Amino acid sequence: MKVHYYPGCTLKQKTTALDISTREAMKRLDVELVEPEGWTCCGAEYPLTEEKIVGLAAPIRVLRQVREEGGDVLVTTCSFCFAVLKRADKAIKDDPLKRKRINAYLRDDIQINPLTKERTTGFEDYAGEVKVLHLLEFLRDRVGYPRIRERIKRDLKNLAVAPYYGCRLLRPQEEMAVDEPDSPRLFEEFLQAVGCASVDYPFKQECCGSYLSVSLPAAASEASYRILRSAGMNGAKAVAVTCPLCFYNMDHRQEAIKETFLDFPGLPVVFFTQLLAWALGVDKSVLGLGEHRVPADNLFSETPATEVRT
Amino acid sequence: MRVKLKASSQPRKFIERIEELSGENVYACYQCGRCSAGCPVASEMDLLPNQIIRLIQMGLEEDVLRSKTLFLCASCFTCESRCPKGIDMARVMEAVRHILDPKGKDAFGPGEISPELAQEVPQQVLVSIFRKFSK
Ligand code: SF4
Ligand code: SF4
Ligand code: SF4
Ligand code: SF4
Repeated sequence: MKVHYYPGCTLKQKTTALDISTREAMKRLDVELVEPEGWTCCGAEYPLTEEKIVGLAAPIRVLRQVREEGGDVLVTTCSFCFAVLKRADKAIKDDPLKRKRINAYLRDDIQINPLTKERTTGFEDYAGEVKVLHLLEFLRDRVGYPRIRERIKRDLKNLAVAPYYGCRLLRPQEEMAVDEPDSPRLFEEFLQAVGCASVDYPFKQECCGSYLSVSLPAAASEASYRILRSAGMNGAKAVAVTCPLCFYNMDHRQEAIKETFLDFPGLPVVFFTQLLAWALGVDKSVLGLGEHRVPADNLFSETPATEVRT
Repeated sequence: MRVKLKASSQPRKFIERIEELSGENVYACYQCGRCSAGCPVASEMDLLPNQIIRLIQMGLEEDVLRSKTLFLCASCFTCESRCPKGIDMARVMEAVRHILDPKGKDAFGPGEISPELAQEVPQQVLVSIFRKFSK
């Protein structure tokens, strides 16, 4: 199976653990990931007013490129990219005026084919031909949990993991349409398919403080602490995330959190794709574990690499 | 909170502008407070999300424009998912930020982040925060 994949700028440079573990896992599931030619940053924030719609240009350009390459699905892992791409696509589908304005702006783009040096311009309007899927949805709906289960090489049943949705994956529900915002199942079902024990706790869809970690670190520390502590108290040995910013707030900033909240013993944070890749038999050296500030190594060795099924 | 109401034609304009920008119906709010109850940053705010929307309803433009709350909202949409009236406060906050003086000072600009920190954080956080809190 071949599918377009949008890593986004953060995964390309800073949070490569999420990107490489995604690639390794997809190889094991016979999914070939294709990056759209010449993609750019999606802009990270979906414009929330009716007037700054120029923020839709970047994500729509990416989606149009996927269509030009014959793709009808775009998969992404970063929750921020996912939200921007998905909401921009919906806005173009639902709102004829936005569709007209953004397409008028993008129509005269010039694109140079890197191989043939051929110049293309005068693009057809983009009208929402590409379906944007989060990798969690893609695994559930296109790959299917049975295929994942068939290919599991390591038994993770002793690993209790708390799924963390955060802010951007589920809300606003009307636009994201991924799962129920207050009682989601998507992440839990994924963890079970991978073979982990999924830990239920009340903070899985609370916000970790997001970008406030640079403007008001104390508020982000408190928000992240509440999530981590709750996960730990409910028996989790790790928190699994989908977003590089949650990872930064809860992993990279965990030392700072511990300095403020002395009762917090610490808890590793992992990407869902690291768990998937590990369960599928990928070597530990290519999971990007060196990027973690809170050592997560133990999680990936405690479980003996016994062949469970071949 | 004690506020003095004055009769003028300005408030209507302010409210209409917020509604036009945000696409939200400001008058739908009946002050149940669920938005503030679930907000992860409420403890840092000088005006809670429900107070912001109440002041908008009353046309108290200056009090709203002065509030620190506008630059504390993380656009996490928790309030949006819980409002029984379907109001997206994150959009209302963005609309208010939009009408602040375009020549005014950045609430959080590139100068406020050290080169070391800028090196360390994921790109998306820089793109996000400057999109939200600077001009
Ligand atoms: S959401 Fe973030 S990581 Fe993704 S492309 Fe946009 S800015 Fe980059
Ligand atoms: S940064 Fe935190 S709050 Fe934002 S998407 Fe990631 S989880 Fe959500
Ligand atoms: S939750 Fe909605 S109705 Fe209730 S106070 Fe907030 S904005 Fe108003
Ligand atoms: S979107 Fe803003 S106001 Fe609403 S809950 Fe999140 S931080 Fe609070």
